[in-house]
Amino acid sequence: MEATFLLTLLITFLASFIGYELISKIPQTLHTPLMSGSNAISGITLIAAILIYPEVGESQLLKIIVLIAIAFATLNIVGGFSVTGRILEMFKKND
Amino acid sequence: MIEIILLVSSVLFIFALKLFGRPSTAHRANTFAMLAMALAVFSAFNFDFSKYDPAFYITIVVSGLLGVLISKRVQMTQMPELVGLFNGFGGGASGAIAYVELSKSTLPLSDYFVAIFSMVIGVFTFSGSIIAVLKLRGKLNNVNTTIANIFSAFLPPLILLPSIWDDMEILTLEYFMLLSLIAGVIRVAVIGGADMPVVIAFLNSLSGIAAMSAGFIVNSIILIVAGALVGASGIILTLLMCAAMNRTLLDVLKGGFGGTTLNNEYEKDPISTSPEDVAIQLSYAESVVIVPGYGMAVAQAQAAVKELTNTLKDKNIEVKFAIHPVAGRMPGHMNVLLAEVDIDYEDMFTLEDINSEFSSTDVVIVLGANDVVNPLARTDEDSPIYGMPILDVDLAKQVIVIKRSMSPGYAGIANPLFINDNAKMLFADAKEGLENIIKSFELV
Repeated sequence: MEATFLLTLLITFLASFIGYELISKIPQTLHTPLMSGSNAISGITLIAAILIYPEVGESQLLKIIVLIAIAFATLNIVGGFSVTGRILEMFKKND
Repeated sequence: MIEIILLVSSVLFIFALKLFGRPSTAHRANTFAMLAMALAVFSAFNFDFSKYDPAFYITIVVSGLLGVLISKRVQMTQMPELVGLFNGFGGGASGAIAYVELSKSTLPLSDYFVAIFSMVIGVFTFSGSIIAVLKLRGKLNNVNTTIANIFSAFLPPLILLPSIWDDMEILTLEYFMLLSLIAGVIRVAVIGGADMPVVIAFLNSLSGIAAMSAGFIVNSIILIVAGALVGASGIILTLLMCAAMNRTLLDVLKGGFGGTTLNNEYEKDPISTSPEDVAIQLSYAESVVIVPGYGMAVAQAQAAVKELTNTLKDKNIEVKFAIHPVAGRMPGHMNVLLAEVDIDYEDMFTLEDINSEFSSTDVVIVLGANDVVNPLARTDEDSPIYGMPILDVDLAKQVIVIKRSMSPGYAGIANPLFINDNAKMLFADAKEGLENIIKSFELV
């Protein structure tokens, strides 16, 4: 348990570090698509909703709350990627 | 098998983030990220799709379709609102998941605190983003900071109080949720419109952090990795935006900046000009730099900008765009609007790249920008914008400011650029003004 938790923390640190390093030199032109794209990625919390949905038990209220989370996260993912695609399409035709 | 899928997904996410960093590869980044997301979501089912009832699948399909619909219909000028809205949804989802996990009594103590954290951050992101969207839509004015200060002062007792009622655990949870909700509303409500690039980037980062902590609760490495990537990239944008205003994040979040007129008195009257004169002035120029600001977005003047650019380029006049990092209402807002009308990103320049060129520029057109070209930032130590990096347009040979009136910008102060000897004002709406200049060109 202890060792796994530390490993998870290490992964968290490494991922944050990689994220910081990869993005730190991004040109201003791409700030919006980056934000919109990473915004879509934050909808990945959908995974958590999928994992807990079958185990939510008898409570109808909790089930509805998970369904709301699923709706929100799906909107975030699908809408986010779709709009990022739209923005990047505009940059692409300049090439 | 699941582990391999998740490994591939993590690597794809990291590659996607790398590809986002260059204009030529950015469109591939989106594809990579989508693929990574699809793999990650697929793996969450663990090949057992029968565990899920119709309500589950219907929710996914309906909200997915709704997401596509919204994203296709929205106009480019409304992009800050849309990013804010989706961001709020992501945060809200993480908050709701944390709440459900906390409601189950089986959570170990270490996870309990992570879940509380995830809920607070998620709910704060949700309510804060909704308020940000309302502000961006102009539906909500600045709220007095006193309310926020009173709330912050009462927050510690408000948190300590429920711990006395520890026999009613659920009540405490909802109480925490309510407090986070109110905190999000109040915190964003006191921040003014032109600080929105910071707010949007900051909320974006928070939604990543909320997702990351949700990953700790459900023991999902991919969730932690993706959440951390988003959290880190959001922080970078937040700090970049703060640096561009020479203010700290805390100072921005404290709110109360701008929105009120501090000083709008001028020693002399500005020189007013006409579209015809501007057209003549431009036709004699060899180099022109256009400085777009939020006024261009409000007036939807992008197409007119493109037309003027074409007219000038046809006359062999060099046209460049100087974009301040916080111009507009989200990071990179002006770049997106210009890209929408096919302006080459090679022609868009950052503050660092173009500032040395102004002194050799014939004509600068300031289009709906104000504080980011105010020379007081360099000279007046008492000014609220002192020290903020600005575009040094006052050094150019001639400056044309297209603006509806002499009213001050967000910082609420007079802009001496407008009465500079080399500056002329064209009093018009950004779009109308440009269109009249273009029309005058046909007569020149």
